[in-house]
Amino acid sequence: VTLSSSNTQGDPAMRVFSFHLMPYPALPPGYDGPAWITCPNALFDPAVGHEIYNRYLDELVYADELGFDGVCINEHHQNAYGIMPSPNLMASILARQTKRCKIAIVGNALPLYDPPTRVAEEFAMIDCISGGRLIAGFVVGGGPEYYSFSINPAHARERFYEAHDLIIKAWTEPGPFEFIGKHYQIRYVNTWPRPVQQPHPEVWIPGVGSLETMEFVARHHYAYMGIPYFHINVFERTFRMFREACEREGYEADPQQMGWLEPIYVAETDEQARREYEDHFFYFVKRLLPGINIQPPGYTTLRSMESMLKGLNTFAINLENWDQVVEGQYAIVGSPDTVYEKLVENLRRLGTGNLLGLFQLGTLPGDLTRRNLELFATEVMPRLKREFPEGVRILPDASAGAVA
Amino acid sequence: MAPLTEEKVSTSIGKQSVWRAGPPDGPTLVYLHSATGEVPLAPVLEDLAETYQVVAPLFPGFGESEGIDQINDIEDAVFHLLDLWDALGLSERGAAVVGASLGGWMAAELAMRYPSSTSHLVLVNPAGLFIENHPIKEIFGRQPAELAEDLFADQHHPMAEMMHQFQAVVDSKAEIPFDLMKPMLQSLAATAKVAWNPYLHDPKLLRRLYRVTAATLVVHGADDRLIPREHAVAYAEAIGGARLVDVEGAGHLLPLEKPAELAALIRGFVPAAG
Repeated sequence: VTLSSSNTQGDPAMRVFSFHLMPYPALPPGYDGPAWITCPNALFDPAVGHEIYNRYLDELVYADELGFDGVCINEHHQNAYGIMPSPNLMASILARQTKRCKIAIVGNALPLYDPPTRVAEEFAMIDCISGGRLIAGFVVGGGPEYYSFSINPAHARERFYEAHDLIIKAWTEPGPFEFIGKHYQIRYVNTWPRPVQQPHPEVWIPGVGSLETMEFVARHHYAYMGIPYFHINVFERTFRMFREACEREGYEADPQQMGWLEPIYVAETDEQARREYEDHFFYFVKRLLPGINIQPPGYTTLRSMESMLKGLNTFAINLENWDQVVEGQYAIVGSPDTVYEKLVENLRRLGTGNLLGLFQLGTLPGDLTRRNLELFATEVMPRLKREFPEGVRILPDASAGAVA
Repeated sequence: MAPLTEEKVSTSIGKQSVWRAGPPDGPTLVYLHSATGEVPLAPVLEDLAETYQVVAPLFPGFGESEGIDQINDIEDAVFHLLDLWDALGLSERGAAVVGASLGGWMAAELAMRYPSSTSHLVLVNPAGLFIENHPIKEIFGRQPAELAEDLFADQHHPMAEMMHQFQAVVDSKAEIPFDLMKPMLQSLAATAKVAWNPYLHDPKLLRRLYRVTAATLVVHGADDRLIPREHAVAYAEAIGGARLVDVEGAGHLLPLEKPAELAALIRGFVPAAG
């Protein structure tokens, strides 16, 4: 029997976040091309843009009012999947319009910022405005972004690591100092403002299963956010690999170092939930995912590529029917009881201390999104909080012991 | 036909795979390959080895050639070629150089920066230039079948057929053995190190080409759908005394599609005895 310190102290309470991708819901029916890189921007209707930016922001503010622990936004460029090229603009609005919740930017694609001190500045601004509610996410950037920015994908990771070092140094070491790296050379680093949270905000790194990213997160004791759209078995493997990476660093992973991102839809009954949700989900899968999985040359090491290919045939883009969605847990959809039970089962299986729900997906309209958030916040979230209180292990002891 | 054999040559960035064939006392003919790394599959080299001492190095990242992590742009590529020239004993007297596509770009850069390195320059559908309104088509992120259409005039060439078969496997969503994909991923990644941005060109090359002193032959495949003819014309106009030849029925990978025609052109251009 292994008694680790976490076993005796138990885990922190489960945190629940509302994540918004801000999808473009109005691709014309006749368009069957990719949603990324070459998706013609003539298809973007600014009138729709005006409506949905404001609606989506309202949905995030509503999550704060409903008592979610936090809201999440992310960064993508030149695509219909998520029209948030600047999550920092959104976060600055949320910093004013939300009152209590954490604001997780998951994240800024560091290699696309030159110089990356821009990220240190803007994140610190948001942390100051929100009174220390920022979660600072850093991301390498998706494959399509290396086409959209013409940044050499072979340098993606080098630039990411170097930009990360620069940002953390800008937050933690007194300026001015000189930073001379391979990709960035700045004679005077002296970031004003500095973040409210000291030494710096909590850092989250999203990933799709690349070993390099996991090892980096484990080494720095950051949190790893598993990106969805894969079979639940792939998630299970991903978080097991992450826990193993932490063990190689000589410590047991804290569940708060892991987040599970999952589409969630709650209605009165299972039948109603599926009836209301299915088409909107498949708009997302069939219209907005195509093109996301492009792997530019040199973007991933062969070692990671080989590992990631193992899960590739379970990528959601290959889904053809609802049975597959249910079987692989690509979305948790149903009555409050069903959703609660499935979430508990999976959280116990994955061992993550953060649940990141996508409560709006694809073309899901505003009224259904709000009711989804309400039902979740009143009928599911309180039970989850009771199921996973502070001091209790999320992973059953059997699985926790198995890795010792 | 003299079969090529592989040997390893040491350079400052690691061991390089160099394929050779032909009479040791024959004039040296260096072949710089395209982004497909076609060296072991190119019968034109065995043909040329009847006349020349053919030396075909694989660029770092291709096959077993090491050191791609040390190469970040075309200048690094040229410095690597200088190392290779030293290692192969070519720096003193120079060599005749044939470069195809990506290799043509490298050959032109080397001949422009270090004129004594190159006695004769044969550029086959060379990349390397930006010509307004005549862009080089995308090679990264394409489907194998689309790429085959752009690379070959004849879709029944064995390599084109292989690419179409590969497309069928991709479309069937069957699991592709990683060992099969690995060489392709490696060559594209190596190409991207040099050619991602600026895309397959050096903005300064064109106005510096006047420095090339090598006798130059530019060969254009009349059915090249990847690089427009304007690029071949620009090379031929910028390099003093250069000659431009169009080869009918040849696509971008002309050395694979028209090996006999290319060998004949080279024999008519590079003297057989030194």
